[in-house]
Amino acid sequence: MMKDIWQVIRREIRIFRARPVYILASVGAMIFNTVFYLTFMQDGLPHDLPVGIVDCDRSSTSRSFCQQLDATQLTGVVYYDDIHLARRDMQTGRLTAYIVIPEGFNDDVQASRQPHLGYYVNSLYFVGGALSYANILQMVNLTNGAVQRQFLRARGVNEAEIMARIQPIVLDAHQIGNTTTNYGVYLNSVILPGVLEMIVILITVYAVGSELKYGTSRHLMQTAGGSIVKALAGKMAIYGLIFTFLGITLELILYHWMHYPIRGSVGWMCLAILLLVAAAQSIGLFIIELIPNLRLAISVSAIFSVFAFSVAGFTLPVEAMPAGLQGFSAIFPLRHYYLFYVQEAIFGSGFAGWWKEVVHLLIFTGLPLLLMRRLEDAYINQRYERD
Amino acid sequence: MKETKTYAGLWLRDWFGIFIHELKLIFSDPGAMVIFFVGGLLYPVLYNLVYANGTVDEMPVAVVRLSDGSYSRRYLEKFDATRECSIYCECVSMAEAEQLLRERKVHGILYIPRDFDSCLERMEQGHISTYADMSSFLYYKDLRIASSLVMLDEMHSIQLENYAAAGFDGQSAYELVQPVLSDESIPYNKPFSYTIFFISAALMLVIQQTMFYGSSMLAGTLRERNHSFASLPDRLQGLGMGRVVLGRGAAYLAVYLVVGTIVALLVPWMFRLPQHAAWWEVEVLLLFYVVACIFFSFTWGTLITRRETVFVLFLSVSPICLFLTGFSWPQTSIPAFWQAFSYLFPSTFGCRAFINLNTAGGTLQTIAPEIRALTLQTVIYYFLACAAVFVENRLHKKQTVPAKVQGRDGVLS
Repeated sequence: MMKDIWQVIRREIRIFRARPVYILASVGAMIFNTVFYLTFMQDGLPHDLPVGIVDCDRSSTSRSFCQQLDATQLTGVVYYDDIHLARRDMQTGRLTAYIVIPEGFNDDVQASRQPHLGYYVNSLYFVGGALSYANILQMVNLTNGAVQRQFLRARGVNEAEIMARIQPIVLDAHQIGNTTTNYGVYLNSVILPGVLEMIVILITVYAVGSELKYGTSRHLMQTAGGSIVKALAGKMAIYGLIFTFLGITLELILYHWMHYPIRGSVGWMCLAILLLVAAAQSIGLFIIELIPNLRLAISVSAIFSVFAFSVAGFTLPVEAMPAGLQGFSAIFPLRHYYLFYVQEAIFGSGFAGWWKEVVHLLIFTGLPLLLMRRLEDAYINQRYERD
Repeated sequence: MKETKTYAGLWLRDWFGIFIHELKLIFSDPGAMVIFFVGGLLYPVLYNLVYANGTVDEMPVAVVRLSDGSYSRRYLEKFDATRECSIYCECVSMAEAEQLLRERKVHGILYIPRDFDSCLERMEQGHISTYADMSSFLYYKDLRIASSLVMLDEMHSIQLENYAAAGFDGQSAYELVQPVLSDESIPYNKPFSYTIFFISAALMLVIQQTMFYGSSMLAGTLRERNHSFASLPDRLQGLGMGRVVLGRGAAYLAVYLVVGTIVALLVPWMFRLPQHAAWWEVEVLLLFYVVACIFFSFTWGTLITRRETVFVLFLSVSPICLFLTGFSWPQTSIPAFWQAFSYLFPSTFGCRAFINLNTAGGTLQTIAPEIRALTLQTVIYYFLACAAVFVENRLHKKQTVPAKVQGRDGVLS
């Protein structure tokens, strides 16, 4: 029994060494993606987002408004003389927002004539637009506060009372699981495991399907002593090892080396990635068993694994999707990894929180057993079209 | 003069022959057809289905209210009335609210401490704490926006009441509370809907990626069968790369002007996405973009020697390309190295141009910088594609004989 599997493993190692595509597409692709995502959003939150200002007033009040806006970490001010130029630059995505300070702004403020400040926000670029918007709202609010402060001071009201009058309600915002609202932490925690899932599915389908395509499947079955179980077990062993290594390394990089916030334990996250790898390998096997034709199976797995990012629910939450699609999201292992991650890393709720996801992921591992005979038949009879 | 004419005639004849040959290849290969037509059309439709709503409305929030008074009651009423959030239930303790958060019945907690109302009555500051579930940025955004908008509104009400108590009321109090009025304008995507900004970028990316995968797959198939797609007519003695590249390119152009029109014009129309540009302006952009994508695919497709390896090797590049367009993480905050890396891909400029032209309602003039960049890419990738054909042709001639002796290269070779 073990001898046959060992023979298959040795055969697989030979293939692996002969075809650089395996190492490039697994380890190479994972390294590239990890480096990309970790360095791409390394600042966590963007800073100095360009906000245009058309200052038609050129008074001390308007200047101080601009300087204060420029001084915030989030936004940087770009001055314009012409409103059309500012509008054009917003339309071309160079500005995240622009503000128009009308002529006579200072005079109107002093005379309590309530001048109008106009601001335009580019909402086509998600993070930049939303953050600039929040920042501008706050600045307008502060400006109003400053005017009131002047008035109250002139009446001899003490500072503590002034604050209570200007801002009667104070909001303390807390972010559970990501205290610094780090966009990189938020995205990378799920995107990188998603990339790993994609790689696992593609390579599994490719490794198993190549035997069909190149007509070597009978040789494989011979090596495995005629047993499809041994053939697949041997074939998956080496890849399983590589993917597990990649997965655990990824978790250690994220939570240990990069110090991504985690409330639970890194150990349980390693369990999650192990299950994700196992589930993804099983999905890969299931696809090639269902469609024993390399070309078609690869196309299907490509569509499946790219789509997983969208329905995992970490960008647009699943409950905001149409009802029919909500149940559909359960067939993607990444969805269950994400739910596991929410419970363990964000809430730290432990076994009670994530045991259901473990069950779900384990169910995936049973899938290949269903159609194993179909693949055996394809391996032995080689009746399917190769290309 | 006569010789020039025959040269041009010959060139055209070769070009046309290659063009027709490539079209036949495309249409006789079900795999490529699936990628071009099913992949190119399925993704936009799937994405539109998934992101049909684009916003999370009436997000459930648990409230822990320890203070009993009119200020906190009014705050909660207004909070419940926002589009973004709704109150799921009032809890007696934080522990109970946290339990609901963990069970994912709510995605935020609003905590009003015991002294909130009494502070406000004494004209001191009252504090409210919000706790957001950070598992999705949309939860965070909803809780943040709803609590802030209500806070601002309440602030004005309370200020007015306080000034009235101090003897200022009517217009003078109003002027004091809001010395500066603001007019806000959020064109293009008022509710910050995820759908509009994601799909605008994804549509254009689908064009580049399906073309790259499909054409590389065809090239890989030919290389697998030991005919190089780059084989030149023998009598040219290794020259004439131009007509090969242009002939093949014309075939993809013909296919992709159809696919591109469906993706960039028909799909947005079907799903009622904003379309602020004239159809012919979108077609002009498509022309530049598709041509750049063609030579881009030819150049990088050179790396693919077998039919299926393009997916295995390069599928994870798709999400990377999407991020490089700057649709989510702002372009100005992308590190310099990745900015430079993004110039390799036509999608970087194509997506930006499409967003600015079609969704933001620009004109061809506003997207001129992107069009220029695409043109530059076209020129560079054209020469690289020609060079690739030349090199491959040389290598192929050397290898043809031994390869035939070896026979089919199996998986074990």
